[in-house]
Amino acid sequence: MSVGRSGSGGRVAVAGDGHGAAPWRRDPAAARRLGLAVALLVLLWPLLVWCEFRPWELLDERSLRATMRFAAQFLTPRVDLEFLALLAAETWRTVAMATVGLALAWVIAVPMALLATARLSVSALAGRMGRGPAALRWLVRTVLVVLRSVPELVWALMLVRVVGLGPGAGVLAIALSYGGMLGKVYAEILESADATPTQALLRGGVGRLQALLFGALPGCADELVSYTVYRWECAIRSSVVLGFVGAGGLGQQLDNATKMFAGAEVATILLIFIALVAAADRVSAWLRPARDAEPSRPARPPVRHGLRLLLTGLLALLIASFATLPMRWGELLGAGALAQMGRFIAEFFPPQLAPGFLARVGQGALETVAMSALGSGLAAVAGLAIALVASRPSGPLRWGTRLLLNALRSVPELVWAAILLVAAGLGPMPGTLALALHTTGVLGRLMAEALENAPPQTAQALRWAGASRWQVFAFATLPQAAPQLLSYTLYRWENNIRAATVLGVVGAGGLGQMLSLHLSLFQMRETCTVLLAMLALVMLVDACSYAARRKLNR
Amino acid sequence: MGLLELDALHLRVGARTLIEPLSLRIEAGEQVALIGASGAGKTSLLQAMALALAPAAGSLRLAGQDAWRLSSRDRHWLRRALMLAPQHPPLPPRQRVATAVLAGRLPGATMAESLRMLFSPNEAQARLAFEALDRLELGDRLWSRVDQLSGGERQRVAIARLLVSNARLWLADEPLSALDPQRAQRVLAVLQDAARAQDRTLVCSLHQVDLACRLFPRVIALREGRVVHDGPPQRLGAKQLDEIYEGLADGSPALAQDPSLSSPPQAMCR
Repeated sequence: MSVGRSGSGGRVAVAGDGHGAAPWRRDPAAARRLGLAVALLVLLWPLLVWCEFRPWELLDERSLRATMRFAAQFLTPRVDLEFLALLAAETWRTVAMATVGLALAWVIAVPMALLATARLSVSALAGRMGRGPAALRWLVRTVLVVLRSVPELVWALMLVRVVGLGPGAGVLAIALSYGGMLGKVYAEILESADATPTQALLRGGVGRLQALLFGALPGCADELVSYTVYRWECAIRSSVVLGFVGAGGLGQQLDNATKMFAGAEVATILLIFIALVAAADRVSAWLRPARDAEPSRPARPPVRHGLRLLLTGLLALLIASFATLPMRWGELLGAGALAQMGRFIAEFFPPQLAPGFLARVGQGALETVAMSALGSGLAAVAGLAIALVASRPSGPLRWGTRLLLNALRSVPELVWAAILLVAAGLGPMPGTLALALHTTGVLGRLMAEALENAPPQTAQALRWAGASRWQVFAFATLPQAAPQLLSYTLYRWENNIRAATVLGVVGAGGLGQMLSLHLSLFQMRETCTVLLAMLALVMLVDACSYAARRKLNR
Repeated sequence: MGLLELDALHLRVGARTLIEPLSLRIEAGEQVALIGASGAGKTSLLQAMALALAPAAGSLRLAGQDAWRLSSRDRHWLRRALMLAPQHPPLPPRQRVATAVLAGRLPGATMAESLRMLFSPNEAQARLAFEALDRLELGDRLWSRVDQLSGGERQRVAIARLLVSNARLWLADEPLSALDPQRAQRVLAVLQDAARAQDRTLVCSLHQVDLACRLFPRVIALREGRVVHDGPPQRLGAKQLDEIYEGLADGSPALAQDPSLSSPPQAMCR
């Protein structure tokens, strides 16, 4: 039969129904959707095998008993005054390290993001970007990828050898890896916003910085602020983890406490974490524009009265952090430190490339990929389920689930892994579960925000017609938020590949275990190979995820 | 008993009155046009009829039930009796047109049917959507994505949603505002024929006064939240029309945008 536009309207001519498929029969997307679903299922199987994913092992009698014993200790946190005073000082050190690190990261990230984003390209206005600017953007993006591909813990492990124990290594590690992350995400946020205002300004002959301030920023300022505050929370968690390699702060206390099996002290420290991250969460909620509580009333202009006060507070926090950290800037950036760094780097070359070793590295890389992918997948499912409840407008369930998400998120993967190791022993499965637990907290919160920020009109139109709650969700809310949810999940996967390598340090297998092994044996050439493999892996995952997200945003 | 009865219905947001206390009654099967200048309260009234805007005072009876005295669950159940096509239909990007149209069938659909519509409409569902779209000259966009549609095409998707729905009361908020005059006439004819054929009641706000007067047996005119005319368009005098659009005839933006109003309004009903 013929399908075509007739002269006047766009009306499809339905001619000769018997001659072939009716126009409503061909669903062009059906085959592709089915293929995608099958491919995902086929991929899942090897992941489960590589991760040695046998969750029922957690439930056998022996591991249950060990878990219970450990959990029982947790019930009586140590709260005597001396310990609390110590922790208060260490908590401030953790916050200060995170704040200074993030401030340095911001200084790295902003200029690079502006260089990396295609949004402010003048040559791209008239079609393709010029060759010179395109090469510069590519170069900046590559630097950003390298910066964030090396996990902060690995940066810190190496920096400790150069600048010695103390907060300096931690701050620099955060600055480097967070600079890479912030720069990349800032550029992406700028690009995901509506291009027309910026382009209109640029076409009108306005300068790039003005176009940024008047065209691009107003549309995504909320998202940028929200993301930066969110990264600050992450930096707090990171600075805790960095304590494990001697940077000081809560992490070092936690490391000591776990090594002495002092469950009561671990419990106190964990509680303080959760409180810290919850406080940062409140700050972030305050910074974001107010949501409309009443759908039947016209939108209220966002309330931002406290903004100036808050910014002053943040500035004070920043100055206090810089002032109190014993940083010895002169030594960090002096000639002696640079020479030592040069010697240290020279030890890494040439990388170990023996075939047998490379095969083991390949095996480790597969394990790491499987752990990160399965962990992110599990977390996406669990996170969405929790986000559904957490994005309810009000009620005890909303606050309960938010509390749960906060708790999951405040405990870093590494700490989750350390706890799960007690129950499940060494191996990739506790690592996967640890990733999943922490990522559930992160994704659950981001997803709840994405669901809340979805424009409400679509959902209202269906609700006003009497559709049930889940129908409204499936037909309006989810399709609107889905690209963002998938995008977050992919991004967390990129993040988790780094986390998965770090988890190896506590015995979860994969590249991380190899790295910590060879680093502790001072086998720098092997360490170099493992590092290169990590870098390649992260870049590969990054490229896959970038391609997938571009496809999503098309 | 009328299908929809408003009794001293008063709509207000804060101190601002949208609709002064208003009583009217719409019988099953009626076709009513709502006219009035921008800001006269047409959209608010339609939203109130769609149970989307709670009244400050007064009552609204739909199919004999006092909607705002029901529990919110019962009121939600009652909503199945009506459907509103908004002026700027909010459609999730990336959704396919077929799914967007079939969303009109959601109220009362089982979970299995709904999931089918969402992921892969079966033949009967696809055919239903296709036929509705085809009548609105959009049949060839059945499997397109809604974000590829123009404003006028999106409006027609919202009308197609009405056509496939089981709602007895169809509410349409300026459904023709993004269509060219010729197509606007054809689409309105399709909507009215379908309402007649499927035994539906139609309340439609229009700013094409000539179409409202020519094609609707009953016209309700609003001015600043008050009903200034309710009845056959023949009784709508030139003076009243002037009043309705007073302050607009001097070339205010709302008038300048709309080609159908560029001639003096009273000429249209003669």
